[in-house]
Amino acid sequence: MTGPDDILSRSESVVTKKTGNEYVLVPVVDNIADMDSVYTLNETGTFIWEKIDGEKTVRELIKAVVEEYNTDTETATADLMEFIDEMKLFLIIK
Amino acid sequence: MKEFSVSIANYSVRFVCESEKPVLNPGKRFSRFLSSSAAPDIIIKVSSEKYQLPENSIKVFDAPFVEERKGLRIKKSDDFWSIHKNGQDLYVKTSFPYSTHNAGALLKFSLTDRNWHLWIDSPQEETDPLEYPLDGLILYYISAIRGDILIHASGVSLAGKGFLFSGMSGTGKTTMAGLWKKAGAKIIHDDRLILRKTVTGFRMFNTPVYDYEEPVEAQVDKIFLISHGPSNIIHRLYGAQAVSRLISNCIQHSWNRDLIERLMDSVSEICRTVPVYTLAFCPDISVIEEILKND
Repeated sequence: MTGPDDILSRSESVVTKKTGNEYVLVPVVDNIADMDSVYTLNETGTFIWEKIDGEKTVRELIKAVVEEYNTDTETATADLMEFIDEMKLFLIIK
Repeated sequence: MKEFSVSIANYSVRFVCESEKPVLNPGKRFSRFLSSSAAPDIIIKVSSEKYQLPENSIKVFDAPFVEERKGLRIKKSDDFWSIHKNGQDLYVKTSFPYSTHNAGALLKFSLTDRNWHLWIDSPQEETDPLEYPLDGLILYYISAIRGDILIHASGVSLAGKGFLFSGMSGTGKTTMAGLWKKAGAKIIHDDRLILRKTVTGFRMFNTPVYDYEEPVEAQVDKIFLISHGPSNIIHRLYGAQAVSRLISNCIQHSWNRDLIERLMDSVSEICRTVPVYTLAFCPDISVIEEILKND
């Protein structure tokens, strides 16, 4: 379970490309059977992805989402947890 | 013959055998692609000696042997081809599932050196150094090194306009090419294309799949990501959606970050300069009318 003091880093197991306000993510894989997945991040996902720097905690990321989107902490927490869940293959959580 | 060159998508590859064996005998698929280039992009020395992977090499990518029948992918064997790394040297180790004589091969190559070495384990005097799957693997790495795109797609050209139809197995690439052929279009290919950026834009090239194919190419003016549907529906894609959908149909060995980055750059570039659409289509002439109406 991810806690508020956990620090997020981006994994080396994915290659990203920013296109407009969105990202395309291609996982680095070792088998041809695992190559079907290509991911995109929408504007909010892009904002969170760019804030993840190996130093900020989950709490600080939630605060950044609250400030950027002028939303409440509960909504921002739900958004961030959903992001972490969907992107867990490409995140290092410490 | 002791050496020959092929030119595919304007890549020139020379195969050379310096010893008595094996005699090089490329298959009928390549007969129209033979060339006499004085400056090959890649030179592949061919030997029929026994080969062995270096002891310290690491397997970085592998592929089982999968056959596609009526849209179904059936795994036939775990042992097909694999990529290995030893320092800067890379190796393709492969078996030949359809060969009557070649048992296996090892290709030593590099992302920076144009001199490659191919060892083929064959008891025969003659060998085809481009036998499946070596042809596709060699073409993949040549195109990937140059940042070009090898893609599951059919391509056609009509009245100077080039249309590309991309999709995985069973989405209608061959059906689409057949419809355009009936309408008088030039068919670039019905299954696999190489896309290269030129000074006039992106061009599509065929790769030898069928016996006695001629080399053909055309400009790419529109890209369609196809699927079968109850009616013809065209929808424009933009930005990351276009890039992610198109890159999913590209042939890629995604073990190497550098190669992934090159492919992403190229696909992003083509999506910036060539419109990309999704196309659900009925397999009849109406889809051609719909595409040309909107052109």
